[in-house]
Amino acid sequence: MFKIKRAFAIMLIMLVALMAACSSSTGNDATKDEPKESGEVERTDIILATTTSTQDSGLLDVLIPMFEEQQPYNVKTVAVGTGQALEMGSRGEADALLVHAPDAEQELVDSEDVVNRQKIMYNDFIIVGPADDPAGIKDAAVAEALTKAFDAKATFVSRGDDSGTHKKELALWKEANLDPAENGSYVETGQGMGSSLQVAAEKKGYILTDRATYLAQKDNLGDFEIMVEGDESLLNIYHVMEVNAEKHEKVKKDGAKAFVEFMIAEDTKKTIADFGVEEYGEPLFFLFE
Amino acid sequence: MELLLQGLRKAIEMILSGDPVILEITWRTLKVSLTAIMISTLIGLPAGMMLGLIKFPGRKLILTLINIGMGLPPVVAGLWITLLLWRSGPLSDFELLYTPTAIIIAQTLVSLPIVTGLTATAFQQINEKLIMQIKALGATKIQLVLILLKESRLAILAGIIAGFGRVIAEVGAAMMVGGNISGETRILTTSIVMEVSKGNFDIALALSFILMTIAFLITFCLTYLQQRKRSQ
Amino acid sequence: MTSLITIENIEIKAGDKPILSVPRFELRQGEVLGVMGPNGAGKSTLLKTLALLAPPGRGSVFFQGQEVGDVLALEVRRKFAVALQQSLLLDTSVYHNIAIGLKLRNRSRKEIKEKVAYWLEVFKISHLSKKHAYHLSGGEAQRVNLARAMILEPEVLFLDEPFSALDFPTKVQLLKDMKQVVENTKTTTVFISHDLVEIKYFTQRLIILMDGEIKQSGPTAEVLSSPNEAAAGFIGEWSELLS
Ligand SMILES: Nc1ncnc2c1ncn2[C@@H]1O[C@H](COP(=O)(O)OP(=O)(O)O)[C@@H](O)[C@H]1O
Ligand SMILES: [Mg+2]
Repeated sequence: MFKIKRAFAIMLIMLVALMAACSSSTGNDATKDEPKESGEVERTDIILATTTSTQDSGLLDVLIPMFEEQQPYNVKTVAVGTGQALEMGSRGEADALLVHAPDAEQELVDSEDVVNRQKIMYNDFIIVGPADDPAGIKDAAVAEALTKAFDAKATFVSRGDDSGTHKKELALWKEANLDPAENGSYVETGQGMGSSLQVAAEKKGYILTDRATYLAQKDNLGDFEIMVEGDESLLNIYHVMEVNAEKHEKVKKDGAKAFVEFMIAEDTKKTIADFGVEEYGEPLFFLFE
Repeated sequence: MELLLQGLRKAIEMILSGDPVILEITWRTLKVSLTAIMISTLIGLPAGMMLGLIKFPGRKLILTLINIGMGLPPVVAGLWITLLLWRSGPLSDFELLYTPTAIIIAQTLVSLPIVTGLTATAFQQINEKLIMQIKALGATKIQLVLILLKESRLAILAGIIAGFGRVIAEVGAAMMVGGNISGETRILTTSIVMEVSKGNFDIALALSFILMTIAFLITFCLTYLQQRKRSQ
Repeated sequence: MTSLITIENIEIKAGDKPILSVPRFELRQGEVLGVMGPNGAGKSTLLKTLALLAPPGRGSVFFQGQEVGDVLALEVRRKFAVALQQSLLLDTSVYHNIAIGLKLRNRSRKEIKEKVAYWLEVFKISHLSKKHAYHLSGGEAQRVNLARAMILEPEVLFLDEPFSALDFPTKVQLLKDMKQVVENTKTTTVFISHDLVEIKYFTQRLIILMDGEIKQSGPTAEVLSSPNEAAAGFIGEWSELLS
């Protein structure tokens, strides 16, 4: 063959070399399911659909390796919006769900899309705001606090993203018989909890948040304090469940079952109860006694 | 401003300390994006050449579709691929959803039209007489193609650079078809989105610096390759 | 003189419009053939047909008596060289532009080096060897173009208006150099031109092509001084200017 110019040759060689390097290394990824070390059993992938806030808490980064150590499964944790996680369940696109939207979950149980639903833990929502508390809502009951903030036309930041937290917030407004959108000072971010907290800090507004994210972020928020907490309506209850393999044939029944059983095991419970204590001085999740 | 500096410091810290998670994510990002652009090049270059050089019925239509494809929003590509790869979808048996391969497919889909389209444009612009002249110099078909490739390398590399830019910056599709699974499909862009949503702006910023650095380095190499002969 | 290239039954059309219609034509060994005719007469098409750069339609092309089909085309084409009006140099140095044909034939590096040096010398462009082809003047580029063709030591050289874009002094100089080269190498040459002076100076035989047909063919001086009825309309006015 005729000799092509060096630059061109280099280009070709580089392309081919990169190609080879990449295909061999993606090959490694593909074989990831196979035994990592000699003597280890073959692993089956299972898909766990959960919510972004659950993933953001970091709890799964502790639990999943524990589970994978005990069981021959590789968990693919897909963190999406609550709506999408539930939809993945009802379509059989996931094997197990870990979510916190009890009413919506019940619908999946009723339609037999999920089975073996187990109550795992809860954390709670809190209302936080600037330390000077412009609307004077501190320590009030939830409905009262919201009413005060509404009447004072104080800035209230909402995620507005149809997430579990957003749904919770809307339910709380409804209970207080208020339509927050009527207020010009109601801000919808359409973003995740962390970003929304930043917006609230920036705008010196109140916001409903889960405790875990707030604790994780407290240092970045400046003069921010918890205003309302401890009310029963502020609980955020997590359930784990198997997607029904009878109804959705591709669901990996054994893996899903193993995961649910793992989540309610004593060891796991202890890990959940201890999670966050070291870092934040208090737990992020609580067990039902 | 303070946050920016903090992010930059964090980035340097994370790279210097050789944080294995960061290294792994960076390496995967490189692997996935380079594989995608490589596949786009291997398919798009010959396809673009044929579209540019050979006149056949339906060619205009294909070129139009490719031009539309250049603007294909990644999330749309991601959505289509998700629907195809789903357990309930037609390609479910390959079990590709939430794997790096799925991200590669999505990134290939969004970069292929760019590489193909820009290559086709480059070859359409080649003077027909030049082709005749090269044949007259005694070139075989393969030699002709190689010379034309070399003559069009500026435009071709521009296409590859543009395609790579799209691929490395892409997040919507990677999130959707990859699932941002830790240790498996988490890449720099999806990590940035995740860290922002967690409120870890410093880590997000640090990751963004790493992303920009590798994007810069690779684009720089490609641009160098593109420009080196010219300066002689 | 023996026939080097023969074409037969050439009928080339663009849609319904005839472009070239030649029942039979022979290019003879060692001759320098001129081709004249108005714009669009089919001169370039004839050249492409002879040089195996365009399909001959239903007609045939013979090289040294043997019909050239697809199988032989590349082998025979490699015995030819072509230079067009536009120099169409590649995006690289003068040296590599001139070397390209030999590289395509997988010649040794040593041979290429020696021959390039020789032809650079012949065309008086040795000093440009390292220069990028895109930075040449029109005359320099055309010299590179011709050197790129001559280095192939072709059995037939095809020139399609190679001097028409050059200014007068450059043209005269290059024409003289080219005539010298062709005479020294005894290369069979087909030379298309609109310029009577070039034709008169350079060629031995002349054909007049009009509307895709060869209207007259004969020794150059003869055709120019006594064009037949068909060619008169084209040649006649030219000759008046010169006389
Ligand atoms: N690819 C083509 N398609 C259609 N018509 C063509 C093509 N190439 C040349 N022609 C036509 O063929 C005729 C002869 O062209 P050409 O051989 O280039 O003429 P000349 O070189 O004598 O000026 C012209 O009328 C030209 O328009
Ligand atoms: Mg012409």
